[in-house]
Amino acid sequence: MTAAQFPILILIIPLLAAFAISLFGGRRDKLAYGLLLAAMSGSFYAALQTLLLVLETNIPIHYRLGGWAPPYGIELVIDHLNAMVLCLVSGCALLTAIYSLPTVRAEIPDRIHHYYTLYCLLVTGLAGMVATGDAFNLYVLLEISALSSYAMLARGRGNAYYATFKYIIMGTIGACFYLLGVGYLYIKTGTLNMADLFRLLAEEEMQQSITIRIGFILIMIGIWIKMAFFPLHGWLPNAYTRASTTTSCLIAPLMTKVSVYIMLRLMFSVFSVEFVYGVIPWHEQIVWLASLAIVAGSISALAQRNLKKMLTYIIVAEVGYMVGGAWLANESGLAGTVYHILSDALMTLALFMAVGAIIHKTGKSSFAAMEGIFRKMPVTSAVFVLGGFAIIGIPPTCGFFSKWYLIRGGIETGQWLFVGALLFSSLINAIIFFRLIERAYFGDLSGHGHGPLPERDEAPAVMLVPMVVTAAALVIIGLYTSEIIGRIVLWTIPAGL
Amino acid sequence: MKKIALLITLAVGALLILAAEDFPRWGDAHAPANDYLSPYYIEKSLEETAVPNIVTAVLADYRGYDTMFETTVIFCAGITVLTLLRRTQRKAPKAVRPRPARQGADVILQSASRLLVPVMQIFALYVLALGHHSPGGGFQAGVILGASFILLALSYDLKTMLARLSENTLLRLSALGVIIYAGIGALCLLLGDNFLAYAALKVFGFSEVMAHSHGILGVELGVAVTVMAIMFSLYVDLASGGDLDEGL
Repeated sequence: MTAAQFPILILIIPLLAAFAISLFGGRRDKLAYGLLLAAMSGSFYAALQTLLLVLETNIPIHYRLGGWAPPYGIELVIDHLNAMVLCLVSGCALLTAIYSLPTVRAEIPDRIHHYYTLYCLLVTGLAGMVATGDAFNLYVLLEISALSSYAMLARGRGNAYYATFKYIIMGTIGACFYLLGVGYLYIKTGTLNMADLFRLLAEEEMQQSITIRIGFILIMIGIWIKMAFFPLHGWLPNAYTRASTTTSCLIAPLMTKVSVYIMLRLMFSVFSVEFVYGVIPWHEQIVWLASLAIVAGSISALAQRNLKKMLTYIIVAEVGYMVGGAWLANESGLAGTVYHILSDALMTLALFMAVGAIIHKTGKSSFAAMEGIFRKMPVTSAVFVLGGFAIIGIPPTCGFFSKWYLIRGGIETGQWLFVGALLFSSLINAIIFFRLIERAYFGDLSGHGHGPLPERDEAPAVMLVPMVVTAAALVIIGLYTSEIIGRIVLWTIPAGL
Repeated sequence: MKKIALLITLAVGALLILAAEDFPRWGDAHAPANDYLSPYYIEKSLEETAVPNIVTAVLADYRGYDTMFETTVIFCAGITVLTLLRRTQRKAPKAVRPRPARQGADVILQSASRLLVPVMQIFALYVLALGHHSPGGGFQAGVILGASFILLALSYDLKTMLARLSENTLLRLSALGVIIYAGIGALCLLLGDNFLAYAALKVFGFSEVMAHSHGILGVELGVAVTVMAIMFSLYVDLASGGDLDEGL
């Protein structure tokens, strides 16, 4: 085996681990947990090696599955964009895996090994969707990630079944739309390979074809349902709120971000800049819709009294950021979107981990859980504050820089509505988080400081370490913004933009 | 709400009709789907894989990576149903009422199924082996095998059947099938070729073309095992509401 095999290892390791856990994990929880950690570490290592390889050569890696040349066989194509997203997926999955054991034991006591099997399958599905260079293969892996996420979400609290059932209906409609769109592309071109589709769709006759245009619209709507883009977001808040802690830590940061990646991949690697912004001249309207998504998501978040539900509405707003940035049709906007995939996944992860630890320790999920949390759980609350700062966009966290690029993109195109929505959402986020921080810091002084001070009751180390690593990554990535933009993000800007 | 749903349905319907306007003509031999990649498969698949059935060659070799994940989808569906339905110590029994206990044996039903099941299972193996030459293959064989177990469970009862083929065995078999598939892929990787590149199997003394042919048979076997086990596992869980007691 040589270095050329790293791309496939990113997803084959979790796949084989899923089967191994389902076979042997039933004997002891620790064994299942150990196998999970080993698989996620292996996958992350392979993803890092792949990224380094891409950064070294600056040319995309093509990996032929079964040795067949595309378009006859399936290939993986790893360029700067998906090398970064692959590292993100496997990195977040590794951190969440380390974090998972205490909460999984408390919340999903039965047959932990099946839960971890689904965990591995979900990671395989997400990584596979990101790595593939074939439009139909993407659909197959979409099925795997969707199916395993339904099962994981349904094993949650309260009426998680009902919330997940809505998600199944919506998710299936989204997947159908995508498949129908790919079918239309196939009927007109006869190929499923993305690079081949790109070549064939560049022809004038194809650009004018109504079938191709409707295929494009169907694909986009399908992906928007999957990423919960306003107004197709109805399924997300309840499904994610009712989910168990580990499930939401894994799914909330990755699912929507991978969908955004798929949107970008299809916009620029299957269709083209001219087609997306020229032949279908709707990008301004989509930016308006994204602005609406940001405003609606932020206001809904402000109205929540449940910590997790509040975070889920922030996700809805953040999806608006990324879709808006991608359809601004300029370099800064797109760079902002790509960079925001990275930063938003990490800040969502940090917040969901911190909130998960708080719920785990206090047993409460309302704002009341936050009272006096600074004294009880100092490290967790520090992570929470840092995550909040990143969402608001306070430098030097990475949230500031992605917002900076998005706003610059908005100004360059004169999309003032989008700029206004971004600033409005930062303001609302500031209110949301400072309100919580106030409660967390002063909440226990309601008895004028005379009552007994709450004792320190921090989350266990296996939960703290990944949390702190994520929070540190928020700052480190923020500090290395110019390198990341220069070495990775600018390479993802398609020619002709 | 109903009116909005009607409007959306009409809009999507209109979109679909509109899209059909630009389709290639029905049955057109020169449509892109017939003209672009298909000639390659038709002309080369026998030569490259020694499999006369082009569908099998495309499914299990040229696009074998897709099929591996399709099999994984089936495995995932089995685990999902188990995760959601299966009763555990902490979950209360379901409200599915067991069927009344059988009074005596159903002689006709049981004798008929005893005659049928061996034939079905041999036919399943035939379908599996025939995948190379005519319609058939792993998925179909797995479904027939699974159906034969379901027939036994219906004509005897769930308990008798589970005593012969326990839930744990089913789970092991379902994982084993996908492991066979992914394992053949990984073996090619270990032998120094790409994942699922069956040509690497020539170290076992086949020609390169025959390595493809045997690789395809191997993965089809994996598919059949997983499909069979998951079929029956789904039946067991759904029929008894996850209690593995008598249902239906």
